[in-house]
Amino acid sequence: MRRTYLGEFEELVLLIISILGREAYGVTVSREIEQQTGRVVAFGSVHNTLIRLEEKGFVKSELGGATTERGGRRKRLFQVTALGKTALADIQQLRSRLWKLMPDDTLKLSDI
Amino acid sequence: MNTPQPPRWAKTLLRWLHPENTIEEVEGDLDELYVYAYERSGKRQALLRYLLNVVSVLPPFVRRRPSAAKYNQPFSLSPDMLKNYFKIAWRNIVRQKAYSVLNIAGLSIGMACSILILLWVQNELSFDRFHARADQLFRLTCSAGDFKTAVSAAGMARGLQAQLPQIKGGVRISKPSPMLFEAGEKKVEEKRVFYADSNFLEVFSFPLLAGNAATALKDPGAIFITEEIAEKYYGTSDAIGKTIRINNNENFVIAGILANTPSNSHLQFDAIIPMKTMARWSQDIQNETWGNFNFYTYLELDAKTAASASAQQQLTQQIAKIFKDRGQAVKIDFQLQPLTDIHLHSNLQIDLPGHGNIQYVNVFFVVALFILIVACINFMNLATARSERRAKEVGLRKVVGANRHQLVFQFLGESLIFSFLSLVIAIGIVCLLLPVFTMLTEKTLAIHLLDGKLLLSLIGIAVLTGLLSGSYPALFLSGFAPVKVLKGKLRVAGGNLLFRNALVVTQFVVAIVLLVGTAVVYKQLDFIKKRNLGFDKSNLLYLPMSGELGEKKQALKASLAQNPLMENFTVISDLPTKLESGTIDVIWDGQTTRNQVVFPSLDVDENFVKVFKSQVLAGRGFDSAFSGDSSSYIVNEKAMQIMGMNVSNAVGQNLTFGERKGTIIGVVKDFHFKSLQYAMEPLILRLNKWGGVMVIRTTAGNNEQTIKALEKINQQLNPAFPFTFGFLDKDLDNLYRSEQQMGSIFNLFAGLAIFISCLGLYGLSAFMAEQRTKEIGVRKVLGATVAGVVGLLSRDFLKLILIAIVIAAPIAWYAMNKWLEGFAYQTTLEWWVIALAGMLATAIALFTISFQSIKAALMNPVKSLRSE
Repeated sequence: MRRTYLGEFEELVLLIISILGREAYGVTVSREIEQQTGRVVAFGSVHNTLIRLEEKGFVKSELGGATTERGGRRKRLFQVTALGKTALADIQQLRSRLWKLMPDDTLKLSDI
Repeated sequence: MNTPQPPRWAKTLLRWLHPENTIEEVEGDLDELYVYAYERSGKRQALLRYLLNVVSVLPPFVRRRPSAAKYNQPFSLSPDMLKNYFKIAWRNIVRQKAYSVLNIAGLSIGMACSILILLWVQNELSFDRFHARADQLFRLTCSAGDFKTAVSAAGMARGLQAQLPQIKGGVRISKPSPMLFEAGEKKVEEKRVFYADSNFLEVFSFPLLAGNAATALKDPGAIFITEEIAEKYYGTSDAIGKTIRINNNENFVIAGILANTPSNSHLQFDAIIPMKTMARWSQDIQNETWGNFNFYTYLELDAKTAASASAQQQLTQQIAKIFKDRGQAVKIDFQLQPLTDIHLHSNLQIDLPGHGNIQYVNVFFVVALFILIVACINFMNLATARSERRAKEVGLRKVVGANRHQLVFQFLGESLIFSFLSLVIAIGIVCLLLPVFTMLTEKTLAIHLLDGKLLLSLIGIAVLTGLLSGSYPALFLSGFAPVKVLKGKLRVAGGNLLFRNALVVTQFVVAIVLLVGTAVVYKQLDFIKKRNLGFDKSNLLYLPMSGELGEKKQALKASLAQNPLMENFTVISDLPTKLESGTIDVIWDGQTTRNQVVFPSLDVDENFVKVFKSQVLAGRGFDSAFSGDSSSYIVNEKAMQIMGMNVSNAVGQNLTFGERKGTIIGVVKDFHFKSLQYAMEPLILRLNKWGGVMVIRTTAGNNEQTIKALEKINQQLNPAFPFTFGFLDKDLDNLYRSEQQMGSIFNLFAGLAIFISCLGLYGLSAFMAEQRTKEIGVRKVLGATVAGVVGLLSRDFLKLILIAIVIAAPIAWYAMNKWLEGFAYQTTLEWWVIALAGMLATAIALFTISFQSIKAALMNPVKSLRSE
């Protein structure tokens, strides 16, 4: 099985990009993370992760059209690539397989 | 709507420090987030979040997006790019015709030169390496004091082999003797006939085309001839079993046909006769003597001894000991000369003719290298000079996205195209010049293009030339900063100019050294030709007394005396071009220790002094009026000095030479009886009673008639033998054949080196003149004269050439002194030779530059200035 190198935060960002579809860019990703997880993250970590994901080939990006709301500055829009999709699927499969392997009583909180 | 804005200072900080290629999107995103936070939690919260975000996208926290330039860049050596390099290179070559012609001409002439020289060098180095056990074969040579010789005694080969286990085999070869061959109607004197022991073909790997190698040389009366001789006498190479008559008295049966001697063998023969045949009359062979040094002895050593120098030294000491134990009183040292060293490292007397010289091989190898370097320098120079023209192209390519590697590959590709084009032309030139060159070097050289090794080295030369000559332009041009180039005129950097000047100086240093070399070789040859040999060499004709002439000496003398054309004649045992006899066995009055100096001897008759016009310092020459002269000796000055006598007391002293006692009756002034490479040796003259060579002094201008008359006399007295004759001065000139060859090869290549340098200079001066067109226009408008402008343009080059002269002078001085040391008599190396060479180089260079500078100076200034 091909190994996927995907960190926890990277996985989160990748999932959010796929959720956002065509609307994924720095701002929406940051806002969505905050809303979904309650984590307040610095924009720098989102920005860096987006670049890293692109280097790994999990997402691709292009500059969108200029809009007046940003003072004429273009957005960089991100999209999950086929490789990114496989990576997500792989991780999910791995997790569910591991869950299935787990003995039933392991997670009973009362035992702790 | 008025959207809230983060503080300006924070934005400035962001713009200033954030990586350039992501600033647009990041700034936009941060603004949006600010607005979002502002609306949700107020200005303070928003500002706090904004500042936190700004810091998180500043270095060192921010991750840089890989530069956009790296996207979609093809691999520098991808086929498409390669195609592009070659296409652009080809377009450049075609577009700049004059420049390309200069470059290709220079490179191809340079390459052709070096290929020719390398062919020659390779041939010289390949001598005697074709023998299967070449590294185990050695020649036994010996030396007595300064007298070093290639010959050894007849008994040594077998005697040493019997006593020393290191010696696996030994073969003796006689000195070459000319013999009259006769088969059918053909009757010619063959000069290269040897007697050899029966194991000759076991030791040496000369291929035998027909016959039995193992048995044939054991049979006296058998003969091996080469294919060429077989064709010559029988018209077919299948001549086994046929008979050949030799010297008009004995028939030999052809027992084997050898392939023609390879041209790279130091042993060159037409026929081999078994040593057993020689044993019929040779005392040396019958008795296996150890005293007479008349044979070349080749020894095959075992592999262990052959590989170790110390084992060989031990062996030579053993040989010397055995020699001494044999009762030989003379002190002689023996050496083992490797077979492969014979051609290039031999300076022995009584050696086979036709030797090379390792010094010349080295010199020419260096010359080949230098000529190639000069050609490369040319290319670099022209390319660098024109770099301004290419700068725009480089700038544009860089802006469009080329990186440095691609530009380097492009320029190297261009120079490789140049060098391979030149290689093709150079091979053409070599094919054209090869006949001339073989005539010059007297070697059979051939260029076999299908020979893989040669092809590989030729391609190697081309690649090397291409890379070398393309290296500087490639590294220099590719380094241009595109903005600077495209903005305006690129100022040629000082370093570039310095480098170019250094290249020009190097070129001229090489050219001047070669010129000095040519001059000195010529001067030395002239010196040798004009040197007083101690006798008058002009108008001396000689006739070897072969066949019946020897017996009919009196009749020959009588018919010569009748002929008014012969001014005078004498019979002499050896010509003063190569005197081969000599002995240590000399005893004189007042001698205290045993003599260790080799005294050559010459048998002359009564007319010798008169015919050779040599000078008698004391006493008299031989004279038929004195009946006791058969036991008298005449010595030369050098012999007199060695014997401790002087002009006033030498005459009348007793002298025992060999076994014969006698008295000294005269002293002659030293005359040269060997090549001028050897210092004067002592000489003892004896009265000739047997024959040798008839030397005739003819009257000037009557050579043709004299030869005709001689031919007639030969026909009457010696009808069985063809008429042969020679001129002594021609033979003397032939002694310096290799020096003459070296001189003419030097001449050729010095000329070519200068020519190539001048091609480069021509291109450079054209470029310089073009670059300064406007300046010249302004100067002319302001009243500059044509001469002034020419001077202005030539001055820079003149400076460079002067520097080159200063550098070349000591190099040439040192090199030529080294060469002259090889001669015992040498011309002096005078300063004016170097000055002359320098002046010549300067003159040629100025002449070259003058074309362009005069053209520039004469140009109408209106034309050059109108464009602005």
